[in-house]
Amino acid sequence: MEAPIRAREALGFILFSLLFSICRSSSLNHLLISNAERRIDLSSHIVKVYLTLKVENAGSTPTSEVLLSFPPTQADHLATVEALVTKGKRKKTTLVRLDVKATELPDAPNDAKYFTIYLANPLKSGESTTIEVLYLLTHSQEPFPAEIAQSESQLVYYRDSALILSPYHIKQQTTFIKTPSTKVESFTRVEPSNRAGTEIKYGPYEDHPPYSFSPILIHFENNSPFAVVEELVREVEISHWGNLQVTEQYTLVHAGARHKGVFSRVDYQSRPTLNGASSLRYLLARLPPRVHSVYYRDEIGNISSSHLRTDSRKSELEIEPRYPLFGGWKATFVIGYGLPLQDFLFETSDDRRYLNFTFGCPLLETVVDKLTVKVVLPEGSKDPSAVVPFPVEQHLETKYSYLDVVGRTVVVMEKKNLVPAHNSHFQVYYTFKPIFMLAEPLMLASAFFLFFVACVAYLHIDLSIRK
Amino acid sequence: MAPPAKAITSPVPDAWYPTLAVFMLAIGLVLTASFFIYEATSSKRNRSLAKELTTGGGFGSLFLLLSAGVYV
Repeated sequence: MEAPIRAREALGFILFSLLFSICRSSSLNHLLISNAERRIDLSSHIVKVYLTLKVENAGSTPTSEVLLSFPPTQADHLATVEALVTKGKRKKTTLVRLDVKATELPDAPNDAKYFTIYLANPLKSGESTTIEVLYLLTHSQEPFPAEIAQSESQLVYYRDSALILSPYHIKQQTTFIKTPSTKVESFTRVEPSNRAGTEIKYGPYEDHPPYSFSPILIHFENNSPFAVVEELVREVEISHWGNLQVTEQYTLVHAGARHKGVFSRVDYQSRPTLNGASSLRYLLARLPPRVHSVYYRDEIGNISSSHLRTDSRKSELEIEPRYPLFGGWKATFVIGYGLPLQDFLFETSDDRRYLNFTFGCPLLETVVDKLTVKVVLPEGSKDPSAVVPFPVEQHLETKYSYLDVVGRTVVVMEKKNLVPAHNSHFQVYYTFKPIFMLAEPLMLASAFFLFFVACVAYLHIDLSIRK
Repeated sequence: MAPPAKAITSPVPDAWYPTLAVFMLAIGLVLTASFFIYEATSSKRNRSLAKELTTGGGFGSLFLLLSAGVYV
């Protein structure tokens, strides 16, 4: 198995370096990476990669853009890319977040995808800076064997490169890979590489030209819950009488190795560590503090296997699906809760109101394939606009709810491929004249009025046939 | 970031909802009862009485809905 892989990787290596020398992009400023350290964390099904790059400007012009490149298969599964730079001296270091944007370059070898990091201060010639990049990959651990029985452990493949794919020359690089347990079936050896406990070390590799790539395959055990929410629809209804009602509809699936054979409840409950080690039993949702009226139900009715623990800073809802989820099994349910309005709705100085709420799934360590957030604004709201820290698709809808005549404006935002790191705040701005709040009690009052007028009319009307 | 913005709350404090609901509904019911008694006893109708008791019944039912958790 190893010899063909080594021949293939050597061929790929030669091809890439040839390709680079043929089509050299002039937009690449002469940056050089003197030291690169990459730490890949495979402990959960979301792959976290921490890349520390020491970038040196070997050219003559100052630059403020650093390019990152990813192979096309990895780029499709990228959930977030963040870049930080440390500022200040030893004791007082602060992390400054940098802007990262996806960019297209015309002559990318083998369809590599790029991201540009915009530095706060341009890097002058001869200077170097250390950038820390964090990126998260979803759906990158492929279960192999693809089907397992209840008593088997889940083994997955992880494919990557021992050499960091970069448009710049890298002088020295090392990659550390952390597996969740010590059980590693096999891993590609690219000398020098070795394994100690749960850590596999590839490197240090010296002096590699740009776009060098050396594919590796790691086959290891990962029994962490592969919880994937295929579709999540979150509806946030604002009521100016003091309440925010959130309703979330989930379609949860276990994205690990598919379950084959029978499910024996006796075996499952008697020896949980041996049977169903990778099954999904519990899910934890982190909700804001001061939450009330929390419900957890599905199409059958209420699901009572849940616990709510509140404190002054957060609330934790621990839910258990009606049945443990094995590979390929699905569960659909609805979670709803109410929140006090003053924690989330604010007024700006120019009389616009805005809702400040979290975008993203409250479930911890789950990947959401498609998320739709709907913010239902009260009747009579005008000029809605949303400000979200990452790109989303937006459109408006109308919803008819209690005591509605014209309907409520709904701001709908959609995004694909989310991870818990996307749980940042977004704002929805709108204008509302407080006098419109009087419309509701007056509507109820007019209903009573009409009833009494009907009574008066009935008593007036003479329906007798004979005078 | 923008200067600390003022938080928006309901024009009527939340804690008063049940109390207000009870009082306003009581007033509304009394006025409704007197309206029907007036209807049944006299043959001339008084329009302004009808208007008075509608507002009592309307606000009372609104606070009843709010205190029950149906935030309209």
